[in-house]
Amino acid sequence: MPALLAKDAPAQLRKGGSARVAPKGLTEAPAKFAPGDRVVVRNLNPPGHTRAPRYIRCKTGTIDRDHGTFVFPDTHAHGKGPSPQHVYSVRFTAREVWGDDASPRDAIYIDLWDDYLESAQG
Amino acid sequence: MNGAHDLGGMDGLGPIDYEVDEPVFHAEWERRVFALTVAMGFYGAWNIDMSRHARERTPAAEYLSSSYYEIWLSGLERLLDEGGLLTRAEIDARAAALRAEEN
Repeated sequence: MPALLAKDAPAQLRKGGSARVAPKGLTEAPAKFAPGDRVVVRNLNPPGHTRAPRYIRCKTGTIDRDHGTFVFPDTHAHGKGPSPQHVYSVRFTAREVWGDDASPRDAIYIDLWDDYLESAQG
Repeated sequence: MNGAHDLGGMDGLGPIDYEVDEPVFHAEWERRVFALTVAMGFYGAWNIDMSRHARERTPAAEYLSSSYYEIWLSGLERLLDEGGLLTRAEIDARAAALRAEEN
């Protein structure tokens, strides 16, 4: 990434940045999952960076929406390349996450990358 | 990493203190820390995921007792030090000099 010149700063700050691959000229990746698929979050405990919150590991949810292809923070944070992959909004019921005392009506939606997920059995 | 930043579901942190008409910055130094962090991001020596991870690596006890922009400053100083742009000693010396000017 080239250093930003002072004259270009205001425009760049208004525009913001994106971790989507398309504006960066990176290739779109094939999606491993589709809306409606049941997925389980892998039991990941990397010593480095991850965007998978601790409380969602090993929980089962449903792919709600496919956001498209994004840079993968877990590799990108360590200079190991962008590893472009799909990010999904995944729906988890509050009871799946917090147990039987949680509201039966509540759910949480978490944006998760392909490499965090595997197909749920059954 | 299983760091102090991963707060979801953690108890014992007290109620969230909502402010009416909350200002973006609560002190002038916060505005400066934010601007320094963004400006150094555009310098291109690291990416946004590296800067998030630098904030996460603030030692856990320090992280939990720091304010938002104190954590940002901690992360920026770590990146500057690790990137060979400033040494920890240079940062500390400059802070001490500014403190002496104030007194």
